[in-house]
Amino acid sequence: METLQVYKKKEFMHQSMLNLFQYQNQSELNRFQCQKTLIMFKNHIKIAWRSLKRQPFFAFLNTFGLAIGMAGGLLISLYIYDEMNFDTMFKDADRIYRINADIKFGGTESKSAQVSAPMAAAMESDFSQVELTTRFRNLGGMLLRKSNTEANIKEEGATFVDATFFEMFGLDLLVGDMQTALKEPNTLVLTRTAALKHFGLKKAIGQSLVLNNTDTYTVTGVIEDMPERSFLRNHNVFMAMAGNEDAQKQEWTSHNFFTFIKLIPGADIADFQTPLQSMLGTYIMPYVQTFLPGATEEQLEASGNYLYYGTIALKDIHLYSAKDHELSPNSSIQNVYILSFIGLFLILLASVNFMNLSTAQSLKRAKEVGIRKTLGSDKPALIRQFLTESGLISFISLLFSLGIAVVAIPYFNALSGKSISIPFTEPVFWMALFIGATVLALFSGMYPAFFMSRFAPVKVLKGAGATSTGGGNIRSLLVVFQFAISVFLIVSTLVVFMQLKFIQSKDLGFTKDQVLIVDDVYTLGEKATAFKEQVEQLGQVQSATLSSFLPTPSVRSNTSFFKEGGATAENSINMQIWNVDDNYIPTLNMEILEGRNFDRQFGTDSTAMLINESAVAILGVQAKEALGMRIIRNFENGSSNNFTIIGVIKNFNYESLRENIGAVSMTLGRSTGSLAVKLEAGNFSNSISSIEGIWNKVAPGQPFSYRFMEDSFNTTYEAEQQLGRIFVTFTILSILIACLGLFGLAAFNAQKRTKEIGIRKVLGASIGQITYRLTTDFLKMVGVAIIVSLPVGWYLMNKWLEDFTYRIEISWWVFAFAALIALTIAVLTVSYQSIKAAIVNPVKSLRT
Amino acid sequence: MLLQLNNIFKWVNSGGQRIFLLKDINLNVEEGEFISIMGPSGSGKSTLLNVIGMLDNFDEGEYSFLDEPVHTLKEKHRANLYKQYIGFVFQSYHLLDDLTVKENLEMPLLYKKVGSSERKSLVADTLDRFNIVGKKDLFPSQLSGGQQQLVGVARALISSPKLILADEPTGNLNSKQGEEIMGLFKQLNSEGVTIIQVTHSEKNATYGSRIIDLLDGRKI
Repeated sequence: METLQVYKKKEFMHQSMLNLFQYQNQSELNRFQCQKTLIMFKNHIKIAWRSLKRQPFFAFLNTFGLAIGMAGGLLISLYIYDEMNFDTMFKDADRIYRINADIKFGGTESKSAQVSAPMAAAMESDFSQVELTTRFRNLGGMLLRKSNTEANIKEEGATFVDATFFEMFGLDLLVGDMQTALKEPNTLVLTRTAALKHFGLKKAIGQSLVLNNTDTYTVTGVIEDMPERSFLRNHNVFMAMAGNEDAQKQEWTSHNFFTFIKLIPGADIADFQTPLQSMLGTYIMPYVQTFLPGATEEQLEASGNYLYYGTIALKDIHLYSAKDHELSPNSSIQNVYILSFIGLFLILLASVNFMNLSTAQSLKRAKEVGIRKTLGSDKPALIRQFLTESGLISFISLLFSLGIAVVAIPYFNALSGKSISIPFTEPVFWMALFIGATVLALFSGMYPAFFMSRFAPVKVLKGAGATSTGGGNIRSLLVVFQFAISVFLIVSTLVVFMQLKFIQSKDLGFTKDQVLIVDDVYTLGEKATAFKEQVEQLGQVQSATLSSFLPTPSVRSNTSFFKEGGATAENSINMQIWNVDDNYIPTLNMEILEGRNFDRQFGTDSTAMLINESAVAILGVQAKEALGMRIIRNFENGSSNNFTIIGVIKNFNYESLRENIGAVSMTLGRSTGSLAVKLEAGNFSNSISSIEGIWNKVAPGQPFSYRFMEDSFNTTYEAEQQLGRIFVTFTILSILIACLGLFGLAAFNAQKRTKEIGIRKVLGASIGQITYRLTTDFLKMVGVAIIVSLPVGWYLMNKWLEDFTYRIEISWWVFAFAALIALTIAVLTVSYQSIKAAIVNPVKSLRT
Repeated sequence: MLLQLNNIFKWVNSGGQRIFLLKDINLNVEEGEFISIMGPSGSGKSTLLNVIGMLDNFDEGEYSFLDEPVHTLKEKHRANLYKQYIGFVFQSYHLLDDLTVKENLEMPLLYKKVGSSERKSLVADTLDRFNIVGKKDLFPSQLSGGQQQLVGVARALISSPKLILADEPTGNLNSKQGEEIMGLFKQLNSEGVTIIQVTHSEKNATYGSRIIDLLDGRKI
C-alpha cells in the first residue's frame, strides 16, 4: 500500500514528464508500466465491445463466419488427432512391427499383410534382434453357444492368437492367469464385453463354449475390451493358436498368419530388412523345391515371380498399410491429408473473411483513427487496440464454435464413422483452443490492424467526404482466393459423386439387385440343401444358390494349379477356386462367353471347371481355345485333381473397383457358407419372413441373419461415400463462409459508393443499370477465381481418380457446372445489397 | 517564444505544375497569444494549422516548437511533442462515437499514460469546470452540436496543453452556441493558454489578439 501511495505521489509530481528515468527504481517503474498496460487493455476491450455492438450486422458476419470456420477446424482436428494416434496405447508400441509380403506367383500378384505360419518361430530362433513374435489367424464372425444350450450367439472378430499375445501388447488379464491362459489347445480368452454377454465377468473362467457348433473351448481368461483406436478393435474372442492345425504345419507358401515381432530395445528395424529377406533362401526355396523340384531363386525371378518381405511399424498400420486383407479396415494417410487441407481451407476462409470485413469497415473506423492520433495515440497503440478487437471477436467466435461443435458432433461422427467426443476435461484441449484462437486473432487481425493504423489524420479528418481508404486490391485478391477454394471444392464434390455414381451403376458382370443373402447356412449342416430346396419353392424366388463364394469383397486366397505338361514355374497358374452349385451363374446373372454352365445331367461335371477371362489371359490362349484344356491341382500327399475347362465366364468385379479383376475358377462342390436368393421385383418383406420361417423350422435356435447384396456392395465404397459426404458438408460450409464475406463486402461497397450512386441517379441512371454496375465488379472477381481454380481441381481430382482401376473421365461440363454454381451464388449474394443501394432516393444519399 | 515558423513552403505537384499550398510563411507565436487565421476558401488556413499541429509535413523551411526543431524530429518524437503540448478542436467536433462524454475526455490522458486516480480527478475537474457533469454518461449522438463542441474543447484542454489549435470551431454551430465557445476561448486565453484558430467570421476574429490573413498560401 505504502509503495502505491509513494508512486502515485511521484507520478503526480511528474505528471507532464514522460522521461522514464525519473522513476527511481526499476521495479516501481515496471509495476507502474504494468498497471498502465492493464488499463489500456481494459479500455481496448471496452471500445472493441462497443464497436461490435454498434455494428451488429458486421459483428454477426464476422463472428458467425469465424465460428463456423473454427468449429469445422476443431472437428477436423479432433478427427485427425484420432486417426494419428492409433495403436499408441500399447506398451512398447515403438518396438512392434508387422511382417508383410509382396508376392507374385503364377500370374497373380498380392500384397499380403500375412505371412506363413512357421515364419514366426524361425525369426525368433534365427535373429537375435527379435525378442518376441505373435501370430493372429483371423476367423472373422462366428457362432458361439454355451455347451449346455442350443441357441447360438453371433460374435464378431474371433481370432486364433499365440500365447505371447499378452506379453507382446502389454495386456493384463482381468481374470485368469497370463502364464497359462492361451497355452493349451481349445482354450480361449474373452473381452469384458463378450464375457459379460455370455457369463458375467467372474463366472466366465472355466466355462465351456461351443464354436460354430463343432469345437468346444474352455474360457481361461478375460481381458479389457480392445481400444477403439487399435487394430484389434471389435475383436472379442481370442483362441489359443495351439489348437490351430495350420499353425503347426511347415507350409512356407501359404500366407495366412498376421505376424507381429517385437524388437529388442535399441534395435533398428532398418537393419532387419536383409535378414528378413534372407529367409527366402533359407526356408522358402527348399520348401518350394519339394513340389517344384530344381526350382531356384534365379529361375523364379526370371519367370517374373517374386516374394518380398517387408515390415510396418504397429503405429503406422492404420494410416499406411493398404494390404489385401487387414485385421481391421484401415484408413489412409491420404484421407488425413485431404481433411487437413479442408480444415485449413475452412479456417483460412474464415480468417480471410475477417480481414475483408475488418478492412472494409475501415472507412467508418478511419475517423476514429484520425481522432485518436490527434489525441496522442501512436501507431503501436492503435495496432494493439485493433488486435485486442480481433482477439475479442476471435474468442467470442470460439465460444460460438464450441456450441456449434457440440451440436454438430453427432452428425460429424455419423459422417466420418468415428465416435469422437470433445475432450472438455482435458487441460491440453483448452490450451490448444486458447493458443489456436490467439494465433487466429493475430493472423486475421494483423493486416487490418496495420492497414487501419496507417491512416493519416489530416486526410481522414478533412471532412465528411473521404471516399476511399484503399486496400481494395488486397480485398479483391482475398475474395478471389475464397472463391477459388469454393470452386475447387465444388469440382471435387462433383467428381467424387460422379465416380460413386459410376461405381454404383457400372456393369459388374453380374446382377447384385434383388439378391438376398442368408448367412451362416453352414450351421445347418446336412440340412442346408433341404433349406435351399424349400426356399426355391417360394413364389417370389426365381432361383437360389448355395456357396461360400460371393462376388463381394471378402477374405480370399489363391490356389496353385498347373497346366498340363509338368509342375514347372512356367506352367503354374495362381487363381482362386470357388466351389459353387449349378444355380450360381443364373442366380447372379453372370454371362458365359464360351462353352456352358455346369449341368447335373452331365455325370462328368464333378471335374468340370469354369474360368473367367483373367484366368484365360494367364493361360495365354483365346477364350475358345481354353475350352477342353486340363488344369491340375497337386496335393501335399501326392494325390492330384484334374479339371477340364467347360466354359469361360465374362469378367466380373468381385473386389472393389479400385482393384483389377483377378483370375477365378469355379468347380461344382458343396460349399454352404451362404444362400443367395434371387427375388422377383416387389415387396420383399413377405419373402424374408417366409425364408426366416423355413430357417426356424429347419434349424431351431440358430440365429437367422440376412442382408441384401446391394448393401454389402455399398459398404465396399464406404470410404468413398464418407469422403463424398465430408466433401459436400465442408463445401457447403466454405461456400457459406465465402458468401458471408461477399455479402459483407457488397454491403460495404454499396455504402462506400452511396454518393456515387446518388450522383448517377440524379444524372438519370436506372436502378437496373446501377445494380448491374455494382454486381459486375464482384462477378469479375469470381470469374478470376474460377479461372484459377479449375486447372488445380482438374489436376488434383485426376490424381484422386488414379486410385480406381475403373474410373470416369472428368468432362468439361463439370467445370462449367461448378463455375455456374459459384456465379449464381455470388450473384444472389451480391445483388441484394446492390439493389438495396440502387433504390435509395438520391436526395438522401447526397445530403452532406 | 512558443513556436517559430521560418520560410515555410508546402506544395503539391499536379499535372506537371507545382501548386503552392503554403508559400514562404514566417510566423512567431509567443505564449499567451490568441491568433486568428483568416482568408478565403483554399487560401491555406487549415493547411497552416495542420503544419503547426504537426499533423502535416511541409516541404521547405524551418519550424521550431519550444526550441525543438520540429522538421528534424523523428515521427515518434514529434508525436510525443504534440501529445504533450497541443490540443485540437475541430469544426465537426470529432468526438469518438462509441465513447461516452467521460470516456472521450479520458482518452488523451490514457495516451499520455496518466495514472488512474489522477485521471479520474482530472476528468471530474474538467466535467465540473465545463458544467457537463450531468452529461458525463451520454454518448455524443445524444448531445446538441454546441454541447458536443463543448466536450471537444474540454477534451482538448484536459491534458493542460500550452497551445490549442481550433479549425473553425464554431462552423457547425448556431450564433448563440458560437458565442459561448468563443467566450470560453477568451477565458482560457486569459488563463494563459495560447490559442490559434482558423475562422471565416470577422466577429470571431475580434476575440483574438492578432489576425493573420492568408491568400493563396501567402501571408498578406
